[in-house]
Amino acid sequence: MSILDDASAARRVRDPLDRMLQYLERHWRVYALIAPAIFFILAVVAYPIFETLRLSLYAAPRNSTVEVYVGLQNFRDIFADPFFYQLLWQTARWVVLAVVMKTVLGMLIAVHLNHDITGRKFFRTAFLIPWGIPYAISAVIFRWIEQPQYGYLNAILLKAGLIDQQIGILGDPSIAWLGAVVADIWIGTPFMAIIFLAGLQSIPQELYEAAAVDGAYRWQQFRYVTLPQMKSVILIATLLSTIWTFVGFDVIWTMTRGGPLDSTSTLVIWIYKTGFENGNLGLAAAFSAIGFVILLLFAVLYLKIYTRGDGESL
Amino acid sequence: MMTDEDLPESLSSTGFSRRDMMRASVGAGGMMLLAGCTGGGGGGDGGDAQTLQFLTMGVGNNIQAFFEENNAAFEEETGYSLDFTSITWDNAQSTLVTRVRGNEAPDVSRMPSRWLPQFKNLEAIDPLDDFMQGEFLDKFYPRVAETTIVDGSYYGIPWAYSNKALYYNKDLFEEAGLDPENPGIDTWDDMLAAAQQVTENTDTPAYGLPAADRLTTVSQYLPYHWSHGADIVDDSGAPVVNSAAGVEALEFYSSMVTEHGVTQSSPLSSTRHDVRKLFEQGDVGMHIGHVYVGLNIQNDETGTNYGIVQMPEGPGGRFCLATTDSMVMYSTAENKDAVRELLRFYYDTERRFQYSRDKGFMPVVKEVGDRSYFSDDPLWAPFVEASQYARSRPKLENLNEVTNRMVRAIQETVSGQNTAADALDAAQADLEEMIEA
Repeated sequence: MSILDDASAARRVRDPLDRMLQYLERHWRVYALIAPAIFFILAVVAYPIFETLRLSLYAAPRNSTVEVYVGLQNFRDIFADPFFYQLLWQTARWVVLAVVMKTVLGMLIAVHLNHDITGRKFFRTAFLIPWGIPYAISAVIFRWIEQPQYGYLNAILLKAGLIDQQIGILGDPSIAWLGAVVADIWIGTPFMAIIFLAGLQSIPQELYEAAAVDGAYRWQQFRYVTLPQMKSVILIATLLSTIWTFVGFDVIWTMTRGGPLDSTSTLVIWIYKTGFENGNLGLAAAFSAIGFVILLLFAVLYLKIYTRGDGESL
Repeated sequence: MMTDEDLPESLSSTGFSRRDMMRASVGAGGMMLLAGCTGGGGGGDGGDAQTLQFLTMGVGNNIQAFFEENNAAFEEETGYSLDFTSITWDNAQSTLVTRVRGNEAPDVSRMPSRWLPQFKNLEAIDPLDDFMQGEFLDKFYPRVAETTIVDGSYYGIPWAYSNKALYYNKDLFEEAGLDPENPGIDTWDDMLAAAQQVTENTDTPAYGLPAADRLTTVSQYLPYHWSHGADIVDDSGAPVVNSAAGVEALEFYSSMVTEHGVTQSSPLSSTRHDVRKLFEQGDVGMHIGHVYVGLNIQNDETGTNYGIVQMPEGPGGRFCLATTDSMVMYSTAENKDAVRELLRFYYDTERRFQYSRDKGFMPVVKEVGDRSYFSDDPLWAPFVEASQYARSRPKLENLNEVTNRMVRAIQETVSGQNTAADALDAAQADLEEMIEA
């Protein structure tokens, strides 16, 4: 190997380092400016995630200063418990029904608001109200409505002769989750409607005109113009709604606390109950880790769709 | 010194506390610095003054003056200074645990007696057996004093107290053909018979039975369990919920829904708060409640004409659930003599009367309960009398977890999904694991 070769090899090694140093020299201000944000994210996002994953490997009762390392025992206990699968099923049916209904109702509202109807401005504002009310307050209102003794629902049904005695929806383990999911749908629909409305307004009018010239009726226009054009918007909105509904806590906790007989418990409710009410922080952290993985799948899907096409956002 | 009743806990529990300053100052021999840092009031009035951190919860307007006046009097009388803090109930438990773990515990504080096992386990509080004896111990209702015992030692001194009795709606009883002034309810069977009569002769549900997913569901059930001779744990701490007496109690309790239909509809969605409201509005005939039910009816002027009888007796006796708050001394307190002096000061009979009257809490001291303000009042008197039947929840570190499991057993039985025996057998199996763990 010649001296020349040695020098070029050294230059090759040095070059990337030099390039990095030069790059940092040119751009250090940028990194200095984003440093606080990075530290903030590390503190409020990365650290809690790390701490939860660490805690999931420990038996950590809240009323003790002692944490005992148990490895994957918490996870083994969870997977061996049939209630975990019941919990997954209850979470899945909650999320699916809520998201489907929010999507369908949101689309219906958006399509109607997109037309030049009388009082459109009023309806646009009115439909936003449920989203503007704190979730817990909406949940309390729905609990009142469904309350058997003095709730509106029972009063109306009794007056209309549809029932002959009071029914306690939230007290019946077979239907309590439906009573709670109604509140969640009511709260979450306006967001979907607004997103869909924005999407509808971005569809070029010429497409509808062309479809009309080709003899397409309203439904056909919706089926062959609106839906294909809205595909990405619908995907993003439903994915976001799925994530938010999955982690939704306020509505169920306020209305039923996961009862009766745990019939309205979802994974998130159970995490809270296990960790903060029953004091088993280690076990709750293990449940959280499982929930984290499930959510991560949705998040990856969301990112994939959002950045589809060589990293360009939609 | 100034009493900072509403000082947010975050300000007093984080950063450089007054005690830290004191330690630093004393360590450096900087008495001048101490005087400068502690500011005005009692804390800065002399180099040898010692400061006690006194923490309580939920000091409202009705009791603020009580603490302001008495803290000032204590400081003047003893020469100690008080760093007095009131935190909200919402995060009180976690705040105290955090402070204990961070070696920032106060010297003395109030806490619900059901937290005592947890703080004892954390080795955060000292036993007060030397205090709770002789004449001082005799001041308290015995059953109330017992609520502060953990593993045979007094770890707290009863500070505040609530108990329960059976409310009934006099107008409804009259409508049903019962004697409103003397309803003749002495046993659970009497209560059931009255409930059946109300159900048959009126349109109003007779008994408010909560069975929602709340810890208070068990609070309302416990008197049945105990008075049938059953318990949650035995003397050795082992769970015994599925004893024959326990099964009998839960069978009786659930039969009011499943067999006799004398309760409001949908007990599984009814919280204790819900049924209390129903009673206060006159929409249910009977309710196990504390003195506030009567006070609410008076204050809200709902017009419900109520009477109060003692908790019905069962084959195992007569019991009412007593919830007490205690004063505790922290093991990290530097001047325990000063803490004892503060406790002696606040347990003066006159001050206890002043506190119970102003705050509207049941007296924990017999001499206060005997005063005509309480003993001659038609609302307070039955509750003063009920002090002899007071019994607290079991002293368990994981009480919430155990209680949640009992909620499930109650729900299974009340909903008719399971028999009392099977529901309690399953609960017993789970409790054996929980309590062993």
